[in-house]
Amino acid sequence: RLTTLRGPRERVVINRASLLLIPFPNCLYLPQAWLDTQDRCLGHYVNGKWLKPEHRNSVPCQDPITGENLASCLQAQAEDVAAAVEAARTAFKSWSAHPGVVRAQHLVRLAKVIQKHQRLLWTLESLVTGRAVREVRDGDVQLAQQLLHYHAIQASTQEEALAGWEPMGVIGLILPPTFSFLEMMWRICPALAVGCTVVALVPPASPTPLLLAQLSGELGPFPGILNVISGPASLVPVLASQPGIQKVAFCGALEEGRALRRTLAGECAELGLALGTESLLLLTDTADVDSAVEGVVDAAWSDRGPGGLRLLIQESVWDEAMRRLQERMGRLRSGRGLDGAVDMGARGAAACDLVQRFVREAQSQGAQVFQAGDVPSEHPFYPPTLVSNLPPASPCARAEVPWPVVVASPFRTAKEALALANGTPRGGSASVWSERLGQALELGYGLQVGTVWINAHGLRDPSVPTGGCKESGCSWHGGPDGLYEYLRPSGTPARLSCLSKNLNYDTFGLAVPSTLPAGPEIGPSPAPPYGLFVGGRFQAPGARSSRPIQDSSGNLHGYVAEGGAKDIRGAVEAAHQAFPGWAGQSPGARAALLWALAAALERRKSTLASRLERQGVELKAAEAEVELSARRLRAWGARAQAQGHTLQVKDLWARGRAGQVGWGGAQTRGCEMSQAWGPAATPGRGLHFNMRFAWDIQTLSWAKPYFFLSFLETESRSVAQAGVQWRDLGSLQAPPPRFMPFSCPRLPTNFLFFLFFFIFSRDGISPC
Amino acid sequence: MSAHNRGTELDLSWISKIQVNHPAVLRRAEQIQARRTVKKEWQAAWLLKAVTFIDLTTLSGDDTSSNIQRLCYKAKYPIREDLLKALNMYDKGITTAAVCVYPARVCDTVKALKAAGCNIPVASVATGFPAGQTHLKTRLEEIRLAVEDGATEIDVVINRSLVLTGQWEGSDFIKTSTGKETVNATFPVAIVMLRAIRDFFWKTGNKIGFKPAGGIRSAKDSLAWLSLVKEELGDEWLKPELFRIGASTLLSDIERQIYHHVTGRYAAYHDLPMS
Repeated sequence: RLTTLRGPRERVVINRASLLLIPFPNCLYLPQAWLDTQDRCLGHYVNGKWLKPEHRNSVPCQDPITGENLASCLQAQAEDVAAAVEAARTAFKSWSAHPGVVRAQHLVRLAKVIQKHQRLLWTLESLVTGRAVREVRDGDVQLAQQLLHYHAIQASTQEEALAGWEPMGVIGLILPPTFSFLEMMWRICPALAVGCTVVALVPPASPTPLLLAQLSGELGPFPGILNVISGPASLVPVLASQPGIQKVAFCGALEEGRALRRTLAGECAELGLALGTESLLLLTDTADVDSAVEGVVDAAWSDRGPGGLRLLIQESVWDEAMRRLQERMGRLRSGRGLDGAVDMGARGAAACDLVQRFVREAQSQGAQVFQAGDVPSEHPFYPPTLVSNLPPASPCARAEVPWPVVVASPFRTAKEALALANGTPRGGSASVWSERLGQALELGYGLQVGTVWINAHGLRDPSVPTGGCKESGCSWHGGPDGLYEYLRPSGTPARLSCLSKNLNYDTFGLAVPSTLPAGPEIGPSPAPPYGLFVGGRFQAPGARSSRPIQDSSGNLHGYVAEGGAKDIRGAVEAAHQAFPGWAGQSPGARAALLWALAAALERRKSTLASRLERQGVELKAAEAEVELSARRLRAWGARAQAQGHTLQVKDLWARGRAGQVGWGGAQTRGCEMSQAWGPAATPGRGLHFNMRFAWDIQTLSWAKPYFFLSFLETESRSVAQAGVQWRDLGSLQAPPPRFMPFSCPRLPTNFLFFLFFFIFSRDGISPC
Repeated sequence: MSAHNRGTELDLSWISKIQVNHPAVLRRAEQIQARRTVKKEWQAAWLLKAVTFIDLTTLSGDDTSSNIQRLCYKAKYPIREDLLKALNMYDKGITTAAVCVYPARVCDTVKALKAAGCNIPVASVATGFPAGQTHLKTRLEEIRLAVEDGATEIDVVINRSLVLTGQWEGSDFIKTSTGKETVNATFPVAIVMLRAIRDFFWKTGNKIGFKPAGGIRSAKDSLAWLSLVKEELGDEWLKPELFRIGASTLLSDIERQIYHHVTGRYAAYHDLPMS
């Protein structure tokens, strides 16, 4: 039976059997009016002012769905980047000099400004990115304010809580073409809170960051703390190599991150990477399948997650889960992001082409493709897509799953689930769905990913750090960990470029130079062992060649083994082999070994100091250095014992009762949090412990191995290849609560050419 | 009412296998209220649809034939005539789904509805409502008497002590609660019930109806309930045979919203007829 309803303007049909959901276009007036204030031409926002240099190319900013031109965006050139960095450097001097409380007040004011202009923010963001306005309005904008408030609190206690740490300086932030402005907030909030200033390079045609910069700039006394320039990817190396940039935070695609790593090798700027978008969901047979299906929707089909999802379903519930999933897909609604009743918007032609290509290839490789939902048929909308039966060895099964695709595959046992889940170079985030506490924890601990949620997916909270591992990058956002990304121990000398520009990557480590005898050695007697220290013993270098080492007065001190690419490979292999055994050690055993190492250093203090002295270091400084090395080892040893895993429980029973649960180890994040927030400030936040706490646990910061390999060369020169990292030791500060870029002790062998390997894990360091 | 539940062999493994994750259900309940925002004409259409699901209820100790009569008239003409005319829905026979009263008032209700000239079903709560803690014999008798008086639907309060001790009963419709509890219809509970209805349908082919009752007072709430049923069960459940909303004050708020939609002003309390 059809009945009709004639509204004031339009004819509407109520079908008695089915209620139509008809889109409601939110008002476009606000974003358009804002663009009009810029005459529909967006420049850059630098030092509290719009910067619109002449003679620049411009790129149109288009509505991703209609293709309508909204504005034109000027493309920055190198001098604009330089101007922005200069502004940030100037602002850094005053911003970092102010007490944390002042910065806190400024951040709170920024949060209030966002609150006042939130409608503009969400309509603009949704209009330009095509994401569902509901997600931006209820999710991103709210979280952006929470982030500012959280980091304001961190800033206000900075002097006490982060004593001994200082802000790095100017942070270069590089964002990918498809990102939500929240990605920017996760990075700028901690950076600004600790006293850094930011230059963000955003892709052309992204007005929201510019709006944010304008809101921040118009607040007054600190206009230059947040500068946004829009420009092509070719400007990335330009920004990264600007003098004064101390850290580059990048989020985007793997290949771009890799290229950036290569560009920045040996440069002074540190690099924080967050790469890839894929996520993983493990659905076991003891899960609440309907809720897990909602988890899949949250992860892939709700405009919350940025990318696609790999879905692993236990074989015994495969049919049931697939049926529910398909049923649920049928009820999804896609459409224009500004429509308040859509689950999924569209993300522009590029994203649509990418997913079309992926699905076509998956089909040709034998996969079954299921698509459903109420989706407009025109480009660039793409329906929610479920891919199954993809042969495990096919290229699509290895490739990163694009939005909005879910690739489902079965597993039989927990062990197999872990093997499948970990058998990918990516390690971003994952969720485990199981009502059995033991199983959920076992799977959670076994997953090699940065962030694990249990019985939830994609929860974000300012106080909870999230990050990635393996190829998904190594930077952390949120919580205390996010703050340390932009801090360094006080007194650390600024990083200098330390790489010879003429290094040829193609031949590096392969063509090992051979050296001729150059006179008598005047080194110590007896001579230190010759060779590379790999796998617990000295061995001859693969190329069987040596390098002469001179002392401070230029005399030939001795010869050391010259390592090559093959030696690196062998050493990495040795480190891999040693990892399971070392990680399996109890924290106490690891601590004991580190302390023993410290004791050994101290026993040889005089020998080591005299060797340093020979290098031109003053005796006192040399002794201090040895002492410092030993102290560092002890501090980390103590950390190995204190630092257990940390579980964080969020929204356990009801909203407003969020709390943290410390899991193992005395120094848990839960304790830290309650201290940081203070019980009076947030009465609801406390320690809630319940036997059913596995129900909604966000577990983070697992013990993950970080592989860093350090080359120590005569001039403290670092060779950045394969993630080589070198830090000078400059501080006596206690180590941070998680693994930080490790200050490799300048072991007194630095007049030797020596190859070290360290495996760092959260729980300790293993010299192998 | 839909076809009766033909019943099935009691298989307790269905129940023992059910897993419900409380926080996940709470999150879903929160989402459902934000994900389907309908405005303007579409909102008016949804509200009219919601009217057709209402079991217009009075369950007061002081019910008499006069207020029952008023209620029945309201059931027949739930929205003011001129408003419906403005929406061009006057002749579409929009009434509430049923009138729900205590057994002793069934007789009055049937009479009043007949006088109003309509065949809206009369639902009666029965069986020791709202506690259900009376003897089976009197409970059955109560049902028999209500049916004799002309009730066509009976809201039975099961003896919950049986459920809590694992002795299950079957029905055509399930209701969130009597509406007389301190906490009545909530979304998380409804989600679990709706999923159970869907699973039962998949296993047996029987469609069980769903009735949230108690605490649904605003038009916005009713829209969320509609979208919840639409999302979890699908459009086939969005008909009075399978979905009811037990409410007494909801209708006046819906009427107010429709008044606003039509006139652009909010109605004063005296602008709309009492129910």
